[in-house]
Amino acid sequence: MTGRRRATLASRIPWTLIVFLAAATVPWIGSRYDTFLASQIVIDALFAVSLNLLLGTTGLVSFGHVAYFGVGAYVCGILMKTYEVPFVLAFPAAGLGAALFALVSGYFCVRLQKLYFAMLTLAFSQIVWAIAYKWNDVTGGDQGLPEIPYPDLDWMSAIPGFGDLRIGDRFYLLTLVLVALSIAALRIITRSPFGRMLTTIRDNPERAAFIGLNVRAYQLAAFVVAGAFAGLAGALYGLFSRGVFADYVFWSKSAEVIIMTILGGMDYFWGPPVGALALVWLNQQITAYTEYWPFVLGAILLVLLFAFTGGIVGGIVAGFRFARYRLARRDA
Amino acid sequence: MPRGYIVALFCATGVVSMPASGAEPIKIGFPIPLSGPTAVYGEPVLKGAELAVSEINAKGGVLGRKLELLSRDSKANADEAVRLARELIIKDNVDFLAGTLTSAEAPAVSTVAKENKIVFIAPTSKSTILTDPAHIHPYIFRVSSNTDVEGLAGATLVARWKDVKTVATIAPDYAYGRDSIAAFKASLKKLRPDIQIVDEQWPKLGEPDFTAFITAQMGKKPDAVYCSLFAGDFVTFTKEATPRGYFKAIANRMVDGAEVGTTDEAQALGGDYPYGIISDSYDPVIFTGNEPPEHKKFIEDLKAFTKAKYASGWSIVGYQAIYALADGINRAGNTKSDDVAKALPGMTFDTPVGKRTFSAKSHETFAPEYWGVMVKEAAYPFAVMQNPELLPPSTETN
Repeated sequence: MTGRRRATLASRIPWTLIVFLAAATVPWIGSRYDTFLASQIVIDALFAVSLNLLLGTTGLVSFGHVAYFGVGAYVCGILMKTYEVPFVLAFPAAGLGAALFALVSGYFCVRLQKLYFAMLTLAFSQIVWAIAYKWNDVTGGDQGLPEIPYPDLDWMSAIPGFGDLRIGDRFYLLTLVLVALSIAALRIITRSPFGRMLTTIRDNPERAAFIGLNVRAYQLAAFVVAGAFAGLAGALYGLFSRGVFADYVFWSKSAEVIIMTILGGMDYFWGPPVGALALVWLNQQITAYTEYWPFVLGAILLVLLFAFTGGIVGGIVAGFRFARYRLARRDA
Repeated sequence: MPRGYIVALFCATGVVSMPASGAEPIKIGFPIPLSGPTAVYGEPVLKGAELAVSEINAKGGVLGRKLELLSRDSKANADEAVRLARELIIKDNVDFLAGTLTSAEAPAVSTVAKENKIVFIAPTSKSTILTDPAHIHPYIFRVSSNTDVEGLAGATLVARWKDVKTVATIAPDYAYGRDSIAAFKASLKKLRPDIQIVDEQWPKLGEPDFTAFITAQMGKKPDAVYCSLFAGDFVTFTKEATPRGYFKAIANRMVDGAEVGTTDEAQALGGDYPYGIISDSYDPVIFTGNEPPEHKKFIEDLKAFTKAKYASGWSIVGYQAIYALADGINRAGNTKSDDVAKALPGMTFDTPVGKRTFSAKSHETFAPEYWGVMVKEAAYPFAVMQNPELLPPSTETN
């Protein structure tokens, strides 16, 4: 009985709100570099959560998710730099552009299954990369699009306590709010009846089709939603990095986000953000000591895949369950 | 469940880190490719910079403070170079930036320098967009040449061949190649309006097979060729062109403006070098005569520093970048980027191959390069530049 009471107590505390508020204090309590890292973590978290709608929720392994991230980054970057469109319009346009591209490419991708689906997503992302790399007049080719202006954040000065924040800090806070809203939206989508249908499709597509679900339409919808949010993450990343470059769309970035998702635990909604946090943080810590970061990452993945298939979050949850089980037995 | 709590815990640990304090040495961030195919350039450039730092520190540093070079591997990648430059500024609190290699990296890092108000000295990028009126800002300076200067020098050399009536070009299909050929054509039109451009080939950067480009160009029967291929591309190109009689067909009348006249490229090609062509180098390393005494000492020091048998033709640009910066700091009297940025325009500094001056308007040195016919020399197992000549003689291009 104690176990259950503890669980209800823990679940009453608004953890997500606490995390959000803790993250929001970084510009005041941390250094400029901490804000820099936190921005990267927050943007990667949204990117990874958007991928997990495909990977964890729908069971679609996409090797080309970076394409939508890249389309979003380019749409927002080109609009803001070349056409001087304000951020309030360029940001949703990035999501919309990525969603449109996801609709077109997804239409073909969901016609294939398993490895063939993965390969086709990879093919589409390489096409986006080739276009970004070659279309000099629009994307800047191999020189990219540097010097994308920051959105106008002077209005933040009106908020008490925000007056002496640097532009990078202000942009971090804006990013944090936008990412929190996006992740909340993804959470609602995952928990909605629509999200439940996606899980059904993941677990048993034949049965889902048998009970009358249009499996392809649902998969395509998930693909478009995931693409749209990846596009939003890309738009923020382009602004954060002060430029959009063809390398953002290279396939190795797709691998990176898959690693984040698996590292955190793709069976849990909060797995990917934890994976993003762990990957960025570990990268910082380990590259300070050794240049063999890929070796360390490989070793960590090896252990995770064999010992903790649920990733970090899965491992921790299992640990807590075990502890609670032991406690409950002692109490009895 | 306590999943959220764990996230909070991770956040807390991630946020704790130590702020750097007590900035005693003057820190210079140096992103440069140290892996991948362009590392063969990045490493010697970095060595040159390291040599300059060790020399300056041996003499007591700048303003009584030692210099510290923080080099990072940019992987010849604009994205990575920008990330590293920002990290060097935000995390390592560097006072200045130097380095980068390609024409994609330098303009990208330049925007970071502008935004953070940190002086940035580019040692190798030739891209004109680095300092053109639309992109210039108070903190960007360049010690390398640019494509306009290179095109003018190349056109001057081609124009000297009085009997040449038709010229063809071949260059890698990206920003540098496009700019370089456009500048060459513009200069040639002024110098020799009678010469016709009969063919332009645009293989991609890193092209594995040049056969189609070679045969197409030979079909147009040009009298001479202007070429901007470099590094591994030039090696591949040469190995495919020689057996097809390409160089024989143009009687070796090729000018290459992409530094295939360096000892580095000559060593890479060895006996396969197309002897007789004309090319350039910031530093020919081996002078057959008229060697400036400062240069002789520089090469001796460089060889001792790198423990290599032959010095690289690229080290000099890294060396110049650091000396230019050190002179600027001395002139400013402090390490504030704003003051150094005001001290550098118009400043003249010494290099092992003569004086250079940063233009007050464009922050360029319009560095001339050494050009000459690449010949076989009994004393060396690779091609050597004959009678290196500084071109263009007048360095006023804009």
